[in-house]
Amino acid sequence: MTFVQKYLAWGAGVLALLIALVFALPGGKVRGFDASGFGNLPILEGGRIKPLDSLARNSLLVIHGSQGFRHEGRSIGPDEWILDLLFRPQVADTQRIFIINDTEVQSLIDDKGKKLGRDNYSFADLGPRLEEIQKQASTAQPIAPQKRTRFQSAIVNLFDRVYLYYKLRNTLQLAGSPGLGWEIQSLGTADANLRHQDLIQLAQFRILPPLAGENPDAWQSVGQALSAASKGGPLHPALPPLARLNAAYVTDDAAGFNAALAEMDGVVSTLKPGALAKASRELVFNRAQPFYVGLSIYFMAFLALCISWLWKPDLLRPTAYALLCAGAIVHTLGLAARIILQGRPPVTNLYSSAVFVGWGAVILGLIVERMYRKGFGTAVAAAAGFASLIVAQNLGTEGDTMEMMRAVLDSNFWLATHVVTITIGYAGTFLAGAIAIAYALRKHLATQVDVETDRALADMAYGIICFSLFFSFVGTVLGGIWADQSWGRFWGWDPKENGALLIVLWNAIILHARMAGYVRERGIMMMAIFGNIITACSWFGVNMLGVGLHSYGFMDQAFYALTAFIASQLVLMGICYAPARFWVEKPHGKA
Amino acid sequence: MIKTIASRVWAFFRSFQLTIVLLALLMCLVVLCTLAQVEMGTQGAVNAYMRSFVVWHQFSGLPFPLPMFPGGALVGLLLTLNLIAKTLDIKLSWGKAGMWLVHFGLVVLFAGEFVAGMMQVDTNMSIEVGQTVNFVQSYKNTELALIDVTDPTWDEVYSVPDTLLARGGSIAVPGTPITLKVKRYFPNAELSNRAEGTPPSMATAGIGPSVSVVEQPLVSADNEMNQASAFVEPVAAGHSYGVWLVSVGLGAPQSFIHEGHNYVLSMRLRRQYLPYAFTLKQFRHDVYPGTDIPKNFSSLVQITNPSRHESREALIYMNQPLRYEGKTFYQASFGKNDTLSVLSVVENPGWLLPYVSCVLVAIGLLAHFAIVLRRSLKRRQDKKEG
Repeated sequence: MTFVQKYLAWGAGVLALLIALVFALPGGKVRGFDASGFGNLPILEGGRIKPLDSLARNSLLVIHGSQGFRHEGRSIGPDEWILDLLFRPQVADTQRIFIINDTEVQSLIDDKGKKLGRDNYSFADLGPRLEEIQKQASTAQPIAPQKRTRFQSAIVNLFDRVYLYYKLRNTLQLAGSPGLGWEIQSLGTADANLRHQDLIQLAQFRILPPLAGENPDAWQSVGQALSAASKGGPLHPALPPLARLNAAYVTDDAAGFNAALAEMDGVVSTLKPGALAKASRELVFNRAQPFYVGLSIYFMAFLALCISWLWKPDLLRPTAYALLCAGAIVHTLGLAARIILQGRPPVTNLYSSAVFVGWGAVILGLIVERMYRKGFGTAVAAAAGFASLIVAQNLGTEGDTMEMMRAVLDSNFWLATHVVTITIGYAGTFLAGAIAIAYALRKHLATQVDVETDRALADMAYGIICFSLFFSFVGTVLGGIWADQSWGRFWGWDPKENGALLIVLWNAIILHARMAGYVRERGIMMMAIFGNIITACSWFGVNMLGVGLHSYGFMDQAFYALTAFIASQLVLMGICYAPARFWVEKPHGKA
Repeated sequence: MIKTIASRVWAFFRSFQLTIVLLALLMCLVVLCTLAQVEMGTQGAVNAYMRSFVVWHQFSGLPFPLPMFPGGALVGLLLTLNLIAKTLDIKLSWGKAGMWLVHFGLVVLFAGEFVAGMMQVDTNMSIEVGQTVNFVQSYKNTELALIDVTDPTWDEVYSVPDTLLARGGSIAVPGTPITLKVKRYFPNAELSNRAEGTPPSMATAGIGPSVSVVEQPLVSADNEMNQASAFVEPVAAGHSYGVWLVSVGLGAPQSFIHEGHNYVLSMRLRRQYLPYAFTLKQFRHDVYPGTDIPKNFSSLVQITNPSRHESREALIYMNQPLRYEGKTFYQASFGKNDTLSVLSVVENPGWLLPYVSCVLVAIGLLAHFAIVLRRSLKRRQDKKEG
């Protein structure tokens, strides 16, 4: 590798990091309004304090499936969307953000005979059919999720999204009313109390910080504050600036809006010092989207490596490695940011376990690449990192990924020991499987037989299987001890425990079979690929069973994804076991 | 000849093939047991697959079940033998010390699960705030209690377990002049108000004559309960007090008087009385602000133990059980608008074994890695020098 090639390679890595940095920078103002500053306001929702921006992003993910959309030729981000939804619902209602895939549900909404496939609807489109949607959903809701038909699942899903939208729309002011300022003026008038009750009922979040001398968790919703004021209490000091924000946004007065926002920030930081700073840290994390950026960099790294096998290997292989390092840095920073923001160990739910599995696989892959320098570590790590972050992105569409931990899980010690070790075990097993896949594919694609590389790959896989056995065994036993501490039994044959046990048993079988000489290179590789199936089943499959103390809910689409994954791994095992004639030495030069 | 058989047996038990076959069988069992839990409930599936020597399956059309698969207990036993044989077989050298410890640790782990499977008793204790309770009760097993409530300050309880009722016949209740004649026993039954015109009940006294009883198949799912019921006839000094219907599903107490003693008949979940009592002083159910996501459950209990002259408070909360007199009390559930706390109670004499095993295996693995690392460093050094 020449000097120039080396610098070009590392230059690519640095460039990737710079691009990642650009994402974290604040965006410009929207039509002169400081939407991003509005998104920075701290709120209490789901039991924790977060910026309004987080709520906007997660709600838009739930409702629309992504964090932004195009409307009238302009792309609209989460902060602008939530501003419209909170203050100008008449505008937000025309934005076609409800995606409906199910044709039966589509035909329920309009009978004009839409074309097949997915279609977008606005809240205004759904408006006339809301009662019907609610009626259908309420008949489907009592049925257990596993037993619902496709239509029932789809209608319940649509209803949940519409209801979230409806609640947001009526959190700061009742949609259709003249606004918050009018509400403050008409305190004590007829009907005001009824409206306050509606506001309290529908509030999705609490935006008013606790007053001095009150319980530090006693954030109030607009309805609660109005109701307190109408009973003779003092008006909450954050209500007037909030009303001015509302009025300025509706009248398109950007300067007035920004001034009111500064005033609101002032009130919030007097009442709840630190909340604003906490919210803005999370806002930067949201904007940076480290896992999305990370998976893009991994993809580039993988692409660079694939090309390197055909063209300019001396330049492209180090470039791929540099890109992988850049991706790993972004990924690590994202993981660290989550740990700091949440004050929890890295794995707290299925989403974060996917992020962590990817991270573990990448770090292991980097180490393997340092040891063998054949490009396989890079390829496998980039592919594993990319795949697991894709899985994480799909798991993250169900709402806040930093949700609070339910009582029995509220233990940083066990989350840090049991959950982390077992997740490292998953990562290792997947990485061994990925190496085995690389081995199998190489066997068929490579033009020359290269015994040394084959042996190196087998060594890597063996080492990683040992590593995974250690972590999955220790993790499983620690899980048993946690179970003994919280449920009173070390081992209960609960599905999640069984899943962990299967990984341990399978890795143990591989090692014993190798030790006894029953399998050699190719056999170990096939077994390692089967390890992918076992790990995927114990990771996701048990959640689909819907039994046991560990299950976190049925995942419908995930079931098909898992089936497809298992099928693909079986095919790869077949490829690995392909007829011997594919394995004999090919004549040089003919390929 | 004997020697060859012995050496063959030895060779069989220490073979790698056996290890691999057994591990594979165990994997199959684990998968089957997990899938079966959807239908049978956790406990049912574990009993059928893991805690049995043979997995039986009842085909429709056949009068008897057929053995389908080796059960968890058999595989576990063979695996333990295999493990012991292999542990003995590992050369007693320092180089193998790590592996030796790991495998010995696994033997301890298996022993722990075996002890748990054989001897662990799961019960629970429900206490309302302010209430004092001196017994734990079973989740599924029942008993017929004959309670002498004559003395208003003291209940004398005589109980007959369901297993004895199931055998039928006459049961003389020790300590009392009463003999219970079991007319009929239902492991699970459905009770309903007896409609006009249906055949008369076997019962002649108490609430029984107005209730009709239909036998039901046994259930095993986690959230279902068998309603054990029976028709019993208390007889004392040659005098019958009529045939009574007793059932877990009946709430109202039924009683009769014999020679000035007032006896209550009650079918209930089997109780074990303790030499100490718990009083629930406070139950807390904390949620995250603005949500109903539970953050913590805790029960503050007063332990009163006259035999130890002990009276102290203990706080039982999530991940923080109370271990007392060989029993472990965990916060399990709650009810009645947060005024009722349910503690699950486990008695497992082998509860320490997994901890011991965990330490042994961890030390063993570390030792093995250290040995392997040293060996490979030495090899590298030799290579350099050579």
